[in-house]
Amino acid sequence: MKIVLILAFSLLGCSGSIDEPISYFNVETPRPFGYVNGDEIPQRIIIETRSGITLQTGSLPAKGQINRWLNLNEVTVKQTGQQYVIDLRYQVFYAPLEVKSLILPGFTAQLSHGEKSISQNIPAWSFTLSPLRELVVRQTEQGEYMRPDSPPILLANTLAMYGLSASLAVAALIAAYLSFLYGFFPNRLRRTLFKQALRKLAGLSKADMEQALTIVHHALNNLNGQPLFYNQLSRFYRRNPEYLQISSQLDWFFNYSNRYFFSAGMITVTQDLQQLTDLCERCRKIERGSL
Amino acid sequence: MHSNLSSPWVCLYLMPIFLCASLTDVHERHEKHEKVYSKNNSGLKPRLVAENVLTHFIYLLFSCFSCLSWTVHNINPTTLIFRMSTDTQLTDWRDKALQFEQQINQTVIGLQPAVRNIILAVFARGHVLLEGNVGVGKTTLLRAVAQGLGGDYQRIEGTIDLMPADLIYYTYLNDQGRPCVDPGPLLKHGDTLATFFFNEINRARPQVHALLLRAMAERSINAFNRDYYFPHIQVFADRNRVEKEETFELPAAAKDRFMMEINIDMPSADTVLDELMFNPRFHDTDQLIRGVTNSDIYYQLNELAQTLQQLIQTSPKLHTYALTLWKATHQPQLYGIQLADVEMPQLLMAGASPRGMSYLIRAAKTRAWLERRDHVLPEDLQAVFPVCMTHRLFLNPMYAYRKEQLLPELIKGILNQVAAP
Repeated sequence: MKIVLILAFSLLGCSGSIDEPISYFNVETPRPFGYVNGDEIPQRIIIETRSGITLQTGSLPAKGQINRWLNLNEVTVKQTGQQYVIDLRYQVFYAPLEVKSLILPGFTAQLSHGEKSISQNIPAWSFTLSPLRELVVRQTEQGEYMRPDSPPILLANTLAMYGLSASLAVAALIAAYLSFLYGFFPNRLRRTLFKQALRKLAGLSKADMEQALTIVHHALNNLNGQPLFYNQLSRFYRRNPEYLQISSQLDWFFNYSNRYFFSAGMITVTQDLQQLTDLCERCRKIERGSL
Repeated sequence: MHSNLSSPWVCLYLMPIFLCASLTDVHERHEKHEKVYSKNNSGLKPRLVAENVLTHFIYLLFSCFSCLSWTVHNINPTTLIFRMSTDTQLTDWRDKALQFEQQINQTVIGLQPAVRNIILAVFARGHVLLEGNVGVGKTTLLRAVAQGLGGDYQRIEGTIDLMPADLIYYTYLNDQGRPCVDPGPLLKHGDTLATFFFNEINRARPQVHALLLRAMAERSINAFNRDYYFPHIQVFADRNRVEKEETFELPAAAKDRFMMEINIDMPSADTVLDELMFNPRFHDTDQLIRGVTNSDIYYQLNELAQTLQQLIQTSPKLHTYALTLWKATHQPQLYGIQLADVEMPQLLMAGASPRGMSYLIRAAKTRAWLERRDHVLPEDLQAVFPVCMTHRLFLNPMYAYRKEQLLPELIKGILNQVAAP
């Protein structure tokens, strides 16, 4: 019986009071050592309250300078039901000459229940701060005292570089092909249209007038981007104003071609072929930009 | 007009005929003068010799030229005289046609391209379908053309209850109360019917279209157990593109019988619009039409068109060009034509028909004639291609709802892709 009573009292002692305003309170802190000047130290405070009790966020420390060496960078409060999660992010600006124990100051969080005010003390937290420099400056040592860390060993990336190069090459080829398909290269080809036409005209005689006319027609069609007819010359000049200076020769060419191909009884003479070659040469000069 | 028939060449062609005559003439003169010389005057001999030598030389020279030109141009001098008269006739007719066109353009202003196309259709003897918005001058234009051409004119309004019989006859009670049957618009003028104007054709039922189909294609209909012929008939029809309710789309066969479908758009120039709004001359259409001079040329048009079609030349290269255009209306994808968001092989259900292409060539020849040429150029075909072809191309139902956009693009694409030579 005695044992039973002892157990019952012990259990009673363990259980909290039902009227306790704060049902759960915990301060989660990181390791208390290994910090250097400029490090940030996070601290999480979890408070669970009974219903009707609210946290007075004004009682939390304000963002900014706490003391000479401590800053509070961020304060966030998240409320989920009756649970408050308070995240504080401190930053230390202290350059100790030796390992030094410092204290994050505690504070009192206020909770209110109607008109009543309840306090919850957040305890101070102690940690150690290490120096960044050596304690003794070695004057005798040659060279610079301050030295960088040794560089880390790089991972082997040769294979990745090869892969990247191959991919870029393939991408460039595809881009070039697409540009070709979309017609981004015609200007390049258009600069040699009459050069090719002149080369083809070179071996032709008066008897090959049909072929000669067709060659010049093809060159003009390619330059125009679509078949060019006599009645479309004004539009052609608007697109290619540099050819306006040979308009009389182009007029002659189209008139001659129309008579040759579409009317009967046309007699060709050697001079016509020469005139055709002259036209082509002037067009060549224009496409080279030398006229 | 005809490059081979210009005046210097004409002289050369006629020389062989003159040569034969002149040789006889010189011979006779020589004999005659020989007698005179021997009897009377010895001083005349050198003059006579010189005359004869000169005459022979000139005729010889002309003969050489004549032979040369005959060889080159391959024209028989005996056909030349006929050609000369035809040529003069065609030139006179062209002047009349251009004068007529000018007159219509003064009556219906701002529609020059449409007027030119109608003139082409009239002189190529093809039927015309006009399409356009309401009140843009379709009917006025056609009335002006009919008035200017002369000939017997009839018109009928398309309505949903119009039946084929309404075109052939109508019944009524006369003054004595007796039922009478009189010929309808088609038969009223018999074989002298010239211009038949079908207003709002798409409001008429397919039965009416079917009757019209024969009248247009064969220029004849069957009624009262006999055939009636209309050798001069030219059908002008119009439809407005705004309303589609209670209308019947023309069947493909009927559309194909029209040489051209001409779109009449509202004039865009401000001066023309201003004129149409404020000039009272354009407010009274009847008076405006009465102002068109009746040239009374209509009944000679068939003969003229026949002559014109025979005389205007088409070269093998032009045949190739026209053939390529035709093929491109069937398989545009083979000629590099690509339209946005269109699967080109599936675009067309039917391309141009042989009848359509023959109409195209007729219209192109007429244009070449109006442009003072004796041969057709690709630009003639290009000028009439849209009006002759657009209504003959039938799109796949999948694309039919975009036809207003796709057909002009397709026509433009064909003309831009096919080269000649």
